[in-house]
Formats: sequence, structure tokens, C-alpha cells
Amino acid sequence: MLELSAYETIEKIRTRELTAKQVLEAHLDHIKKVDGVPGKLDFGELSEPEAKKVHAFITLTEDLAYQQAEEVDRQLDNGIAPGILAGAPITVKDIFCVKDTLTTAGSRILSNFKAPYTATSVNRLQKAGGVILGKVNLDEFTYGSSSESSAFKPCPHNPWDTTRVTGGSSGGSTASVAAYEAALSLGTDTGGSIRQPAAFCGVVGLKPTYGRVSRYGLIAFGSSLDCPGPVARSVKDAALMLQAMAGADPRDSTASNRPVPDYLSALQKDIRGMRIGLSPDYFRNSMPDLETGEIIYEPIQKEIEQAIYDSAQVLANLGAEIVEDVPMPNTIHGVSVYFVISRVEAASNLHRFDGVKYGYRTGKDVSDLHDLYRLTRVEGLGHQPKLRILMGMYVSAAQYSAQYYQRALKVRRMIRDDFEGIFDKKGSYHLDALLTPTTPSTAFELGAVYGNTVMMQCADQFTVPANHAGIPGISIPAGFDQTGLPIGIQLLGPDYREDLIMRIGHAYEQATQTADWRKAKPQVVRELEE
Amino acid sequence: MPVEHISPQLFEKLVDLAAIALDPSESEYLRSELNNQLTAIKELMAIKLDETLTPALHGVPFESADRQAMREDTLLPYATPEDIISQAPQSEDNYIVVPDIPHSELD
Amino acid sequence: MTDYEAVIGLETHIQLNTKTKIFCSCKADSWGDEPNTNICPVCSGLPGVLPVLNQEAAHKGALLAAAMHAKIQPVSYFDRKNYFYPDLPKGYQITQYDQPIGVGGYFDLPMPEGYTRHIRIHKLHLEEDAGKTKIINNERFVDFNRCGVPLVEMVTEPDFRSGDEAAQYLVRLRQLLRWIGVSEADMEKGHLRCDANVSIRLRGSEVLNTKTEIKNINSIDAVRNAIAIETERQIKQVEAGNRIESWTLDWDADTGTLEKMRSKETEADYRYFREPDLLPLILKPEWIEQVKNSLPELPLARRQRFIDQFALSLYDAEILTTDKALSDYFEAALKHYKGEAKVISNWITNDLMRILNDLNLSANELKLTPQRLAKIVKLIDSGQINTSIGKSLLKKVQEADQDPGEIVRREGLGLVGDEEAIRALVESIIAQNPAEVTSFREGKEGLIGWFLGQVMRQTGGKADPKLARQILLELLKQG
Repeated sequence: MLELSAYETIEKIRTRELTAKQVLEAHLDHIKKVDGVPGKLDFGELSEPEAKKVHAFITLTEDLAYQQAEEVDRQLDNGIAPGILAGAPITVKDIFCVKDTLTTAGSRILSNFKAPYTATSVNRLQKAGGVILGKVNLDEFTYGSSSESSAFKPCPHNPWDTTRVTGGSSGGSTASVAAYEAALSLGTDTGGSIRQPAAFCGVVGLKPTYGRVSRYGLIAFGSSLDCPGPVARSVKDAALMLQAMAGADPRDSTASNRPVPDYLSALQKDIRGMRIGLSPDYFRNSMPDLETGEIIYEPIQKEIEQAIYDSAQVLANLGAEIVEDVPMPNTIHGVSVYFVISRVEAASNLHRFDGVKYGYRTGKDVSDLHDLYRLTRVEGLGHQPKLRILMGMYVSAAQYSAQYYQRALKVRRMIRDDFEGIFDKKGSYHLDALLTPTTPSTAFELGAVYGNTVMMQCADQFTVPANHAGIPGISIPAGFDQTGLPIGIQLLGPDYREDLIMRIGHAYEQATQTADWRKAKPQVVRELEE
Repeated sequence: MPVEHISPQLFEKLVDLAAIALDPSESEYLRSELNNQLTAIKELMAIKLDETLTPALHGVPFESADRQAMREDTLLPYATPEDIISQAPQSEDNYIVVPDIPHSELD
Repeated sequence: MTDYEAVIGLETHIQLNTKTKIFCSCKADSWGDEPNTNICPVCSGLPGVLPVLNQEAAHKGALLAAAMHAKIQPVSYFDRKNYFYPDLPKGYQITQYDQPIGVGGYFDLPMPEGYTRHIRIHKLHLEEDAGKTKIINNERFVDFNRCGVPLVEMVTEPDFRSGDEAAQYLVRLRQLLRWIGVSEADMEKGHLRCDANVSIRLRGSEVLNTKTEIKNINSIDAVRNAIAIETERQIKQVEAGNRIESWTLDWDADTGTLEKMRSKETEADYRYFREPDLLPLILKPEWIEQVKNSLPELPLARRQRFIDQFALSLYDAEILTTDKALSDYFEAALKHYKGEAKVISNWITNDLMRILNDLNLSANELKLTPQRLAKIVKLIDSGQINTSIGKSLLKKVQEADQDPGEIVRREGLGLVGDEEAIRALVESIIAQNPAEVTSFREGKEGLIGWFLGQVMRQTGGKADPKLARQILLELLKQG
């Protein structure tokens, strides 16, 4: 039952082959077996058995889940049509406010914060009949690419190899879905935070177009970059979840007013004649030398490169036209621009965490307001928020803003122009999508990169350009490397054309349905069966 | 030898502006990471910018199809303001309470 | 003695009278409410919330810009101004930094002394208000009710030359704001707040010297006094050979003194950047045209027209254009009266305004409509009632909400113009008062007033005084 797709689960609930409550209980049972202790502050030593668990959760919301599941069953009993996600078990990244639940952002500074309202995206999932299982772990305030920076430990472990990271910042989301703890998860993607962990955990992760899904209730990181999005085990499931959430919201001025298409029917179309590009700029791993600032190029992980070519072949066999050597010259600037723009916005967005209105306040005796601020923030915030605040302040300070922030905004235009160029119907490439690796490598070991913030950020080099440009992107599983770690491939498409990239992703999935690699199970699940 | 974009003095100023009371060891770690990051983004400075380039505040262009109508001036009071005030670590008589800013010395 | 002149610029914060706040749907005006009862997640800066612009705030901001002859910008942007303060829940204020809704403009300020000071406007922009704090025993009590109230900040060039001019500007600005309906502009309630930038220079010089900023000026008098005192101080400093430092000063209304401000907020780097949660404010040309065309005739223009068109004095025209409702009332009454403007003007300034004051009403709220006032004056003119009856009718019409003719009929207030009846009455008064009659006939002709009084008393004030006087004279002089 757990391995069913969300779509199938919902169908069976609708036809009463299963009840929502049964589905919920099966998942809660499984969570108890694989998840281990939930994340908490000031966690001590990790024991050996715990080291092999997923630790996706911070807060399990069992009561809420039961209420929702029972409501779905009651509706079906009374002949009321339930929503399109009826009974689907969903986890929510703990960056979304959910009324009366602990909403921590993975930080001590919100460790006691119970949101008085629910985010629009979560609300829509609930209205569609989704069953919220709980809040899952993440990098603190979504700052990171490994989910290791959470103040709530243990941080999530990769279900395929629990000595490795899940990726981040939506690590709890992707791990919970990969380990069958949930069918769907709601994550966020600001520089790649859905797609990169999806690749590391062997699941599907979609970053919709900026503004396609409302940000109201999402604790902000980079306000011009943040996108709520679905994590699932199939493209169809991701489409279903997007259908439930997408669309205008009067509470979000940046949410697009455009009508939401029928994503599911879009998946049914074949991909014959679609033009899918490959760009050499996405086949090299660039890392800056920390002494000179010069960019050093290395090839990406061999198996990942191979996976791209193999999947391109699959798509070509389905009738798509593969267009090689598509230049995307400004891809290389994605990480630098991100270091500037996201930090300026983050520093400002973190101003409100000051111990005055909600959340953590220093326990020390203070008689000076400035001490209240300073002590609350040094105690309540981890390294990553502090770094983002300080960097953000530096690059937007009056004397440095022109050379950093203002400049970065212009380079962002250049990154955007690259995509407009290749997707322009009248341009020489007129692509429907760009096919790229999601990440330069597969999941690294826990602790291997954390602390080296430059290297950590570079894990996002292939995902971050889509955030700057605002376009949609999806990562789908495309096999494993030699050590059995998942590989993800990414499809990037034009504004509001989630339908195009999901169509291609779905076609790829269907064509590789019987591939051997699809039979593999994550370590935590295999160990259960043993 | 990593480049000192941010000196200890400038770092102090930033920390003050950010209202965070860092201790020396954390300060050193954060300052060195910041300097690494600034080195890493050095290439940003070297990019030749075309004069016609406009800043991109958002990636997507927000065409008229995307823009929602401006909000009407209609009252919609929030039903439970007490849910908000009850979040405050210290409150009294429905005010949120914080310590005062002491008088600074006048010269 | 060297001759210095003061160089003053004003920054005013104007609270718009929209129904809701600028970025959320809470009430805009919460004066007198219990603390923290007029808040929502958005204006109290909860995690995850987003601002949504109130169209009426944009509309009123544009209207004010038009009234100040400023250019309404077709595209303007919102920015974040970042700093820490307990009354600022998000830790930043959403404002407009470098691309505001209104640019340029001017105000021609007439001074009572007879000259006009041309004040140039630098810009107008929209922003959100912060909350309020009160300090009790080393603790700050914070109330967010006012967070997010829509403000227009309007900055002038340093074109004022005295505290008096600054004070006069605030008087005229207050009048204008109420006139076009964008703000109640009640300084006591903080609807209109003012900061003044003051510097001095040698008279005749064009240089701009270091200025000080005076904050917390909450009344017209405070503007006048604070600026006068600061000008004095600067002159004394300069004459003593000292430099003026660019201090920020706090005006203490209770002691009437200026204090150097304590907090260091003024040194903050606000790190302004475009607000990513809001789209640029785009105002279409047709919309802008419509706003400009919707402006009514402004107070000073109307004052001038009353002088030119109706030959009223400056004094009268000034009173009649105190507020728009009153001036509309005057013109409507005059239209119905079709007579001398001065007559209606007098009725309004002498009598109507007292009624408005007593009843605390605006001229457009009266049951004593302009039409009815005109009727009353016409009744007096045509001799159907006398003046004192006419004056008493004002209140009667307002209370009864009835046409004055109706009331006259009903209460029999019409002048007794029946000559026979008056003649008979006069004869009886003469008969009953031989001593006074004799005095009159012996030369005390002033007694005519007393006799007239007797006639009026005995007719309950309704006798036609002209006719009564005529008959009295006739009969008194007979003997």
C-alpha cells in the first residue's frame, strides 16, 4: 500500500477499496519503523540504530491527520465528492505556517512558535482532501543544500544511504517521500532546494514558475526567488499536487493571476517533435579558488553525465528532437548572483526575529533593548542565518550596494536573457525545454561539506539559474551511480509551462517504467524487509 | 592567504548593525567564511555590463495577465488578535513589553 | 549686527483617511482603541506574511500630488527601509525611496502680512506608519494598532523663511487635506505630523548651510515656536564663532525646549532596496487624467473667486472658505437667494456658523439647507417677517426639519401688517402712557424707541416695525 503512487492511493480511497484512515494508519506505522527520533533542539549523541533512520520529522501531527482522514472518509460516506487529493498522506516542510502547529523553520528562534494561521498552499492541500502528517526537517530557515544546518537534530538522513545527506533545504520533504513515509511533500525552492534534494533522494521535485503558487504563509528567505512546490515519487503525482495548490491569491501580490491549466491532461500528450536542448555550460562543475577567486572547472560526476545522454536517447526514441551545444553563457554567474541577491533579501527578512513579538527570547536578564536583540539573535540563530545576515548587510550597505547588489541585479537580467533566448519561438533554438543534470555530484557524506559554505552553495550551480530567471524546473530520477546513490536529471522550461516539462518527464518515466534500476529500494526500506 | 575583504573592524560594524552579540571564536569563523564567499563572487565584478541592462528585481516579467487587480478598500478585521499577542514572550494589559533603550551620554 | 535669515524645509507625514491600512485590511483609524486590538498577521509582522497595496491609498496619494501641482509618476516603486525598533514589527518599513508617486510641485502660501511665499515641493511618497510605544519605568509598552496605517510623506524645498510661514503652511495644508478629502488632518490625533529642517545664512546669500532637524512637532504653535527658538540658537552659536552641527532635536511641548535626541537611529544605514513582495505601482495615463480632473476648486482659488466674483472682502471670503462644505453652502444659498452676496455672507458668518459650532455639524449636514436659509432671508426682505423672527427661524428650521414658510404659517409668525390693528394698538398705548406721550411731545423724540418696544411687546414681536413706527410718529405728533 505504501508504495502506491499518490494518484493510485487517492483512486482506491475514492472507490472505497481503502479508507483514508487505513492509509493514514499504514503510513504512521511505517513512520514509526523508519523515521527514528524526530528532530529536536540540543540533541545529544546519535546512537548506532538511530544513525540508520531517516529522521525526516520535526513534528508529527497525528491528531490533525486523523481529523483530516476521518473527514475524507465521512465525506465519501455521505456521497460528497472529496477533493483531488482525497486521503493522500502529505508532509509539509517546516517553513510553512500551519495553524496551531509548531512552525520552527528548523531554528531555535522559532522553536516555540505555534503559527496562528495557515499558509495558502497548505490550506489548499487540506481543502483538496490532503492529510497532513506533520512538519518535516530542513536547513535552518532553508539556508543550505544538505539539511544539516537545522537546529533540530538529528538532521534528515538519505534513505538510500543513511551515512549521506538528503540534500537541502527540503531534505525532510524528499527523504519522507523517498522512504514511503508520505506520498507527497510540500517543499520550497529558492536556489534548488526542492530539485537538489529530490535528485539526491531519488524522487521527483518540481520548482514551479515564480508566482505560480502563493507564498503567503511561507517564512521568507529570498522573496524574489522562493517557490513552494511538490515533491512526489512520480511526475503525475507532482502534477496532481500542483493542480491543487497553484493559482492566484489575494494575499500575495506576486502570485500570478493567470489561469491554471489542466496539468494531468497535459501529461497525456506525447513528446514527438518537441525540441529539447543540451548545453555544455551545464556539464562542468565550477568551483571558485578561495585564494584567487578564479573559477576552476572540473567535469561533473561521470555517471551523471552518462545519465543525461542516456535519457536524451530515451527522449529521442520517443520522437523528441535533441538540440546539442546550446550556449547558456551566464549560467556560470548563477551562484555569485545568488550569494548577493538572496542574502540581501534574507538579511531583511530575518530582521523581524528579535525576541519581541513571538518565538525565542533570551533567557538572560536584560535591561537594555539592544541587548535583548543581540542576545536573542546570537542565541536563537545558527551559523547559516548569521552568515546570510552579515553578507546581506555588507553587499547592500550604502557604500557597497552599487558594486554588489545593483550589479547582481543586472547580471540576473543576463541569466534571464539566456533562457528567454533559447525559449523564444522566433529565436534560432526555439526550445521547449532544456535538459541538464540537477547536481554536479550525487549525495555527499554527512559532515563532508558542511562548514565550507562556498562549496555547499556550489551544489546548487545547475538549479539556481532557474530561480534567478523565475522559470519552472523539475528534477526526476534517472538511475543510480555505482555506489547505488540516486541520480537526478533536470528539465527547465519557459514561464508557466510546467505542463511542458512535466509532459517530457512523464514520457521519460513511462518509457523507463520497466528499467532494472526502478526496482531498487532505499536502504531503510530494504532493512525493514530483511 | 585568503583575502581580507572584511577586516575585523568592518566585521564589528556589520555585527552591530545586525544586532547579534557574537563571541570571538564564532566571529572569526563567520568572518573567514564571509571573506571566502566574497572571494568566490569576485568574478561578479569582472563581468562586462552592457549599458542597456536593466536590473531584474524578479525573474518573470509580470505582464498584465499576471497582475491582480489592486486591493479594494474594504474592511476585513482579523477575528482573533489575541492569538497574535499571546505569542509575545512578555506582555501586559495587552501591550507587548520590552526593556527601554537607556539614555546615551550627551556630549 | 549681521543680518541672518532662516532657511527652513518641512517634512510632513499625512495620515490618509482610507477605511483600511495600506497593506492589509485592518481598520486605518484606531484612535482611542484598546492596544493591540486592531492588528492582523500582516501588520504585526508575523513570519510568512505579505503586503497587498490598498488601491484607495494610491488614489488619495495621487490626488494630493495633483492638488500640490506635482507630477503623478506613471511608475513608482516601493522599497524597504531596514532598522530595528520595537514599534516596527517587520524590522523594516515599506516606503518609497527614490521613485515616489509624486515629484515636484508647489504651494503658493499667502501670509496675513500680505505677501505670498512660493513653496516648492520636492516629492510625495506613500509609506506605512509604525506602531506606538509608551515608556513606563524603564520598560517600553508597544501597541501595533497603528502599524500599517497609510501615510503620505511630503517634503518641501527649504523655501520657508520663518516659523510663522511654516505655521501658516500647516494651517493651509490642513485646510487643503480636508478640502480634497484625503485626510482628517487633526494634529492632535497625529493625522498630520511635521519635522522641520532649520539652518541659517547671511541674508542675501544663496548658500545652504548645515541644518538641524527638529522632530516631534505636533501642533501649529509648536512649529512656530520650535523654529523660532532653533533659529535664535543657531544665530547665537554662529555669532559666538561656533559651528552648527547637524543634530536631530526633539521638541518638548511641555517645557517649550529643544533637546538633542538620545537614540542613535539617525546614524543607521537603512540599506534601502526594492520591496520584492510588491510589484511596481503602475498608474495608467487615463487614470492619472481622471484623478487630476476630479480635483475640486481648491480653497485659495475659491477664496479669490469669492473676492473677484462676489465683491466680498478678504476677511469674509477667508471665513466662507474655511472648509469646503461651508463654501459650497454659501454658493448654493446665494444661488437660491439671487441677491447681494454680502447679505448671505453676513447671515453665515454671524449666525449660521454659531449653529454649526453649537451642534458640532458640518454645513452639508444641516437640515437648515442653503435653500431654506435663502428663503428665510427672502421672507425678511419682502417684509413678511422681521429680522429677529428670521433669526429665531434658523434654529426652528434645523430642529423641525421643515420649510421656513411652513413654520411661519403654523406658528403665526408673520408680521402684523394690518394697519387698522396697529393703529388701534398705538392709540391704546398712547392712551395708557400719558407721561411718556407728554415727554415725547415736549422734545424727547428718542422715546420713539420705547413706544416701538411697547408695540412689539404687545404684538409678540410680530408687528411690522416700519409700519408701527410710521403710525406712532403720526399719532404722537398729532397731539
